[in-house]
Amino acid sequence: MIFLTVGTQFPFDRLVRAVDDFFDAYELDDEVFAQIGSSTYTPRHFEAVGVLDKEAFDRRFRQANAIIGHAGMGTITLALDCGKPLLAMPRRKKYGEVVNDHQVALADEFEALGHILVAHSASELAAKLTRLKVFTPQPRAASPDAVADRISWFVRSIDPG
Amino acid sequence: MNQTSMKICLAGSAGGHLSQLLKIASAWSGYEVCWITTTEVVRASLGEQGNVHVVGECNRQHPVRVLRVFLRCLRILRRERPDVVISTGAAPGCMAAILGHLAGAKVIWLDSITNVNRLSLSGRLVRPFADLFLVQWPALARKYRGVEYVGAVI
Repeated sequence: MIFLTVGTQFPFDRLVRAVDDFFDAYELDDEVFAQIGSSTYTPRHFEAVGVLDKEAFDRRFRQANAIIGHAGMGTITLALDCGKPLLAMPRRKKYGEVVNDHQVALADEFEALGHILVAHSASELAAKLTRLKVFTPQPRAASPDAVADRISWFVRSIDPG
Repeated sequence: MNQTSMKICLAGSAGGHLSQLLKIASAWSGYEVCWITTTEVVRASLGEQGNVHVVGECNRQHPVRVLRVFLRCLRILRRERPDVVISTGAAPGCMAAILGHLAGAKVIWLDSITNVNRLSLSGRLVRPFADLFLVQWPALARKYRGVEYVGAVI
């Protein structure tokens, strides 16, 4: 199963439609199940629900062979934490999908580092969707402890006590 | 806790900003803290320690809300009197940091990882007042003077 999740706060019809249109021309071994939030587009090729509760969402996420989603930090970190291949489409301001284009640069940078696949358009999505199943995400080597230590050191340096 | 022990105000908007702030929780272990965040939903994730103040969401598109959040931050900082403000953004964290600086607190800013090519607007506003300014991409530290990169939290 491929889990399509677009977040629940804002609609993202462009992505839901792009995945649906893909199946007009192609087939995949995997079925798609979608959480489309407040998106209004009704897909013809797969089952879609509005909002899953947290438990059902986590179950779908863990069961999935791959994830398709927006390029939000929440979706990206969850996919990396679970080791799931993610195909992400950045939300764009010009389509009214988000208030600014911060998802674009982040997505491109994470794709360049091998963490995720990125599709900026429906045609790119179709091209990369066939690669998603064989994509092995590069695990992220974050260093929160180094950041915490730097801050802790600074705090202690100004502590008069 | 002795009399000279400092209080740290932790400011982060619900969602990505707050989750990045929580990744570095060991930075303030042993200190008294208070929190400024934007929605009630995340209150439970902040644990038992310290007061949690919910100021509501705001951004540039809603000036009235910005003013309301600003006044709430002002009131909170006057009551809590933190010695240090640590924030990952966004707008409410920016206000808490600048107001904290004006009240004599030290300001630590960690710009969100979503800012890859340039600092966030909040970060750019806070930068002149920050005592420690961290970014999560090495290229940003090379681009801006006085900005440090030691790693990414996620």
